[in-house]
Amino acid sequence: MSTTDIGVSDDTGEGKDGGRPRPWEGGFWLSEWAFPLFVASLAAGIFAGTHLYYTYQTGAFNEVAVVALLKAGMENGSYGAAAAFGAGFLFARIIEAPMVGILDIGGSLQTGVGIGIPAMLLAGGITAPLEHFWLALPTGAVIGLAIGWLVLVIRRATVNSPNAGSTFGADVMMGAGNSAGRYLGPLVILAAATASVPVGLGSTLGAILFYWWKKPLTGGAILGAMAAGLFFPITK
Amino acid sequence: MNETLTILLESAVIGALIGFGAGAGVARMFHAPQAQGMGAFRTLGELNACENDPIAHFSFGFGFFFNAWASTVGAGALSGDVDHRIVPHWAASISMIKNRNLAETLHNPRRMAFTGAAVGVVLISLLNTTAASIPHSLQSVASQVLGPASEWLLNPVMPIIFWMAAVDAGRRTGGWGTVLGGLAHIVMGNAVPGIVLGIVVGKGIDDMGWNRITKSLTAAVIALFVASSFLRGVDMELLEQMKIGVPGWLHQLHESTGTAGQ
Repeated sequence: MSTTDIGVSDDTGEGKDGGRPRPWEGGFWLSEWAFPLFVASLAAGIFAGTHLYYTYQTGAFNEVAVVALLKAGMENGSYGAAAAFGAGFLFARIIEAPMVGILDIGGSLQTGVGIGIPAMLLAGGITAPLEHFWLALPTGAVIGLAIGWLVLVIRRATVNSPNAGSTFGADVMMGAGNSAGRYLGPLVILAAATASVPVGLGSTLGAILFYWWKKPLTGGAILGAMAAGLFFPITK
Repeated sequence: MNETLTILLESAVIGALIGFGAGAGVARMFHAPQAQGMGAFRTLGELNACENDPIAHFSFGFGFFFNAWASTVGAGALSGDVDHRIVPHWAASISMIKNRNLAETLHNPRRMAFTGAAVGVVLISLLNTTAASIPHSLQSVASQVLGPASEWLLNPVMPIIFWMAAVDAGRRTGGWGTVLGGLAHIVMGNAVPGIVLGIVVGKGIDDMGWNRITKSLTAAVIALFVASSFLRGVDMELLEQMKIGVPGWLHQLHESTGTAGQ
């Protein structure tokens, strides 16, 4: 299949170099071995973000609730919850990633590398990579390289193996992923209308203006809600 | 060195690294399954929802920017949206200002990586050093409007969309999706990963039958569910809710591994 089948155009013919190969057929940026490098870059940043949080209490790349697990460990020394939570997500995402073609950043890197692995290191009494910035970067990069490499190994053994006559339903999941975003605009209007009357009105007005201007209504719904909230703050 | 300056410099380096990686990974998602991408299904869907319009991409990221700002003030946590939403959407918005050709902007890993790195430097430095100066009224709109909306999208809207896609893809895929989806919601708190794995297993068996690949895949999926339910203490929860006493050895095992439930 090509991504055109699910409504995403990869048309490269409109540019100056019309007729060049489709992007994944050549070049560093879409090659297989470039993938671990991108994972390493992102993982190094996320691990260093956790270092920033460990030393200066700001900068961890995760939701408040998940960072709270790590914080609990930093305060009372029991890192079990954070380590188990992070490791579980990391394991799940590494298995899932080669199958679906997308490595989930939130589960694998933000939660696994950013929370789970630091919690395991701290539980084992290893604090140096979290105390020193220039040690945090290579630690994160090595972990990222390993994850990227593991994903490619599993990918070669399954989806890309010579006798694999299957894409494992990637088209089904891409289709669902593509349609999921369409629900966001209406959800923002519903949430705005629940929050307060002026914010709900602002959000609805913003959405309909964007719809008339043939722009996606999600953007209008958010801007309308924020503009109304600036003049009529939500009091609750 | 002054503490704020240290945070600023480290944030700039961190921002460049995450922006570069996330930008390239997100652009590669549009070439899956031929190329391995990095991001999330919701990121893909939301990027498509903005329909190739720079203003829509910018305002979508802008809303979550305030959310991340608010969360940084409160807890020092930048929020998961930085890599999933703000960096991809702002990088897309910036690279589309002059050129609306998707193949040369959003779907081009090189362009997205460098634009993402630039966005990252500014974004992470700003979040980590100026979080305290955010207007309070915008903070509350971000947390009370965008917060619930994105929670509803994650649960229950996305599970239902994936569930319907699995059911429509055939009896075997629908069956695996339903069983693993239900179990995933119990074990992981969200059905989407389970339904996705159900589609993977079901479609794999549809296309290739039971061979070495599908068998090891299914074994890995079962191992994943068993391991995550133990790590999250779901086995103890099940016994307790069925009014069966938890055996002492199981409780001790969970205590000693620190997995006695969240």
